[in-house]
Amino acid sequence: MKSQSEEKKYMPELPEKEVEELRKNITATSQRVVAENIEKMKKTDPHRPEGMKYFDEIANFSMREKEIREAKQKGKKVIGYTCLFAPIELILAADAIPVRVNSGWYDASKLGDRIVPVEVCPVVRSTIGAKMIALSPYLELSDALISVLTCDGMTKLGEILSDYKPVWAMSIPRVKDSAQSTRLWIEEIKAVKGQIEALTGNKIKSKQLKSAIERTQKATKAFRRLQELRKGPPVIMGRDAMLVNQTYMWDDIDRWTEKTEALCDELEKRASKKDWACPPDTPRVLVTGTPMIWPDNWKVPTLVEEANPQGVLVADELCSGERLLYDPVGVDEWSMSDMLNAIAERYLMASTCPCFTSKDGNEDRINWLLNKIKEWNIQGVIYYVVRGCMLYAMEYTRVKKVLDRMSIPVYYLDTEYTREDVGQMKTRVEAFLEMLSARIDI
Amino acid sequence: MTMEFLGEFLKVTVLAGLALAGILVILIWKKGLATRVTYLRFLVQVVAMVAVFYMFTYPIWQLVLMIVILVLPLFLGRVFCGWICPFALYMDAITLIRKAAKVRYRLLPDKLNKSLHNLRYVLLLVFLLLPFVLVLLDPPGSLDLATLLALRLGGPFEPWRVVVGPIIPLVVPWVGPLAIGEIYFSYPYVQEVILYSQVVFNELAVNIIAVVFVALTFVGSFFVRRVWCRFCPTGSSIAVVNRFKGFKWAPLLHLDKDEEKCTKCGICKRVCPVQVTEVYEQKGGKINTSMCMLCTRCVEMCPYEDCLKVKFGGKTVFKSRNWLEPSTIE
Repeated sequence: MKSQSEEKKYMPELPEKEVEELRKNITATSQRVVAENIEKMKKTDPHRPEGMKYFDEIANFSMREKEIREAKQKGKKVIGYTCLFAPIELILAADAIPVRVNSGWYDASKLGDRIVPVEVCPVVRSTIGAKMIALSPYLELSDALISVLTCDGMTKLGEILSDYKPVWAMSIPRVKDSAQSTRLWIEEIKAVKGQIEALTGNKIKSKQLKSAIERTQKATKAFRRLQELRKGPPVIMGRDAMLVNQTYMWDDIDRWTEKTEALCDELEKRASKKDWACPPDTPRVLVTGTPMIWPDNWKVPTLVEEANPQGVLVADELCSGERLLYDPVGVDEWSMSDMLNAIAERYLMASTCPCFTSKDGNEDRINWLLNKIKEWNIQGVIYYVVRGCMLYAMEYTRVKKVLDRMSIPVYYLDTEYTREDVGQMKTRVEAFLEMLSARIDI
Repeated sequence: MTMEFLGEFLKVTVLAGLALAGILVILIWKKGLATRVTYLRFLVQVVAMVAVFYMFTYPIWQLVLMIVILVLPLFLGRVFCGWICPFALYMDAITLIRKAAKVRYRLLPDKLNKSLHNLRYVLLLVFLLLPFVLVLLDPPGSLDLATLLALRLGGPFEPWRVVVGPIIPLVVPWVGPLAIGEIYFSYPYVQEVILYSQVVFNELAVNIIAVVFVALTFVGSFFVRRVWCRFCPTGSSIAVVNRFKGFKWAPLLHLDKDEEKCTKCGICKRVCPVQVTEVYEQKGGKINTSMCMLCTRCVEMCPYEDCLKVKFGGKTVFKSRNWLEPSTIE
């Protein structure tokens, strides 16, 4: 007889043998997919920047897994998070390792179907599935999870995962720009700070927090430098830049910054030699919508950049992409309270997640898109939505209206966590890109 | 003898101060900190205070200063308040003390802040009308009204001084309210406070009132950034003009916001020393609020390239940029 506390609220008891078999199969697939994706990226851009080597390495989960395991043995704690609203600065300040635990494995989403209905967003289902068979090393290694209650799926995901490890829920206000929202969110940030301190045993003092903020600012700076480089003719393929961006979710932040700066140095040299990754008249595409997570959910960028005619991704509005790093924490005074305020405001107010509304109804997202389109000279937008992602799907109409007014073609791509529709999607993406290149010719 | 020596001493000090400021400029320039507006502002404020001290040694300069204060804002907005005013320098210095003491600043509620903004007109009116009211209270007697009015305006009550009030430096070249040895000390508005309270109270009470006034402003600006700027009557001239539609063209110098580049991250609202919310709330374009002192702290801190700009007659003077250079932000 199991005690009440040990009994799992959601998760089924799977036979050990089945779990083992599934894990073996899916891990093998995952390894294959990682290698395949990197191979494809190398093929698209035969003279890929040297700096990408490091990111290819870190993209393979095992390397970082080993590092984290070693750090854990030395007593470091690992704190996972599901949405990017989790205050990474606080985790870093407590000398813990932040990792994002959302799953991008297609096969795992089918396992998630056993617990939640298929209508639920596949990102959530896949994360549940990954947990069932202990697939994601970061999810397994994390000592606690910060679950930010953004959309419905994420809210319940935290609850489901609490079957395994402590989950700290942070309720994020849905109205972004009111005084009472900010008050609530600051309280949440303070509460989670206390929890992080209790778990790690390290008190977060203003000195550590300042240095943590500076570290993330440096990362943002490096990332923004990469983004600036993408404004001109394509000096790096979109997938490569996206991979750089994705690895931030689990890599060591200082090393990541260093390697990204090195990559930017190299790209700058290439740009001065007019050594482009693909012809400069390639249609420039922006992708927005549901997060795309390495390794499996890489099909849309792959399709765009391998299509004939080819397209190139130069910017995105994804919470697995630019939004991770675009906004810095701006501190006015380096006192504890002001730093906490700055962190709270950066995560709440600067975000363009459609889970929010505000006085003007999430106009920030529209502005973000307009700015990207003008500054990055975007010729077409792919609006990517996975089935079940209500919030992004619902905002499509508004985005389309604005983009139509600017006569920027937008293509609504709805899909699932599956490989089966790649062939059919390829036709559609190619038709869209053909239309874009026809427009450029005119 | 002592007076002469003191005069020479003061001159040397002032010259040394200016030289130091020059060296500081070169240092800041070399370190690539020239873009750090906060440093630059402190420097301008220090130099301006020295200049104001010299101006006050000659009455005619007071007049020039007054004209500058009254006319310049029509075209430059409240740049005077943000960059030159010595009282603002005291308050910024007190802010530095507070920062060193690691005390958190307090925010005034937005509503109170807005009504304080309107209080400046009331203060201005009271100061300007008081001498006339005193004439009415004090029967003319043998003197005719015109003579008495002239006496009142020229005499101890100088209503126009309300405008120069905050510019009075700590050390004054005339007989100030407080003397230590041969050096006279003053404080913005303290002379006015003493003069006006003398009408009603005896000397002891007047002294107490003066001390209380100084203490209040000190404590106020310790906890609230730039507390006096929120209702300072000097800042009203541009504000008055800005209220009328026909004068919207007048400010040559103003803030400009690009709505599309703004992500509403709220940094501009948080760093503003007088809690101006318009920069955050307004949907792009010219920022027309007369609460803004053009200290450009928000432009300095805004992390989005080109989002906030300071424009002078249509030309961009200074703009927000990707400022992420850790450790040098403050």
